[in-house]
Amino acid sequence: MICLSRNEQGAELLSSYLAKTLDAARTAELDRHIRECADCRGLAMVWERLDEFAVPEVTPGFDARLYARIAREEARVLGWRKWLWRPVAPLAAAAAVVAAVLIVHPFGSPDAAKQASKTEIEQVAQAVDDLDLLTPIDR
Amino acid sequence: MEAVVALERDAQLMLRVREGDDTSFGLLLERHRGPMVHFLYRMVQNQAVSEELAQEVFLRVYRSRETYEPTAKFTTWLFRIATHVALNSIRDRKKEKGHESLDEEMLDGMERQVADRQQTVEQEMVHEVKLREVRQAIEALPAKQRAAVLMHKYEGLDYAQIAGVLSCSESAIKSLLFRAYEALRGRLAHMA
Repeated sequence: MICLSRNEQGAELLSSYLAKTLDAARTAELDRHIRECADCRGLAMVWERLDEFAVPEVTPGFDARLYARIAREEARVLGWRKWLWRPVAPLAAAAAVVAAVLIVHPFGSPDAAKQASKTEIEQVAQAVDDLDLLTPIDR
Repeated sequence: MEAVVALERDAQLMLRVREGDDTSFGLLLERHRGPMVHFLYRMVQNQAVSEELAQEVFLRVYRSRETYEPTAKFTTWLFRIATHVALNSIRDRKKEKGHESLDEEMLDGMERQVADRQQTVEQEMVHEVKLREVRQAIEALPAKQRAAVLMHKYEGLDYAQIAGVLSCSESAIKSLLFRAYEALRGRLAHMA
């Protein structure tokens, strides 16, 4: 005998029974049992009572509000990325210039090295200035 | 079979969102907006809060688009986010406000539903009382049992999906639902 109230599959069985998706033999067995068992009648009643818990319609501006939140969040993330990238970009460019110079002129005489070093410093300073000019100004 | 097709479609849409297709996000929103808001409404029993939480759920889905992998059913993932968001909200609201606004919202909702049905005054009163009792019985369930009942009864999730959402075994879910329906039967027995 199937007893919904003594069976952990009871909820599944009950939902199938009420949705009329059980086979004829199982349905007939449950029909008989529910007539006789007060606990199972109680469970079937609970299932039906829960149907009364209606829900309101979703308000019309839901999507617009969501897309506005997404847009705000994306703008904020973009702002953070820009802010974090700004001090890093000139330094990275300067390091790249220094690395390039060292690769092209790895060694030399002390005078030549001094001259090269002076030139490199000027080049790096120029590169940093150029990057500062290229960096957009926050409005 | 229909559920499998729906799952594949959701996962495909989400993969397209990952590739930057915002139209697919719109389609996912269209498909799941109603069930999400309704699930959250029954969880927190407040329309404004439920919509706010549903927005948080979709916002998290959108945020996760770049790392999305279809390892679980899309609906399982979605309900996992929604349950997490709802449980946090319930915990926070219990701390902050108690149940004042919940009761106000319950009355608002009942008035609206009753007006829609154009019933007689007596029928309205009977319906209000029954509805209030059902809502209070659900609200009285522990939050995890409540989430499991709502997913099982109203959203059509099976044991395996609910187990995925609540991160526990199927047998634990069977036991959880069994206890929840027994508790509801005890609280609503007088309505038979």
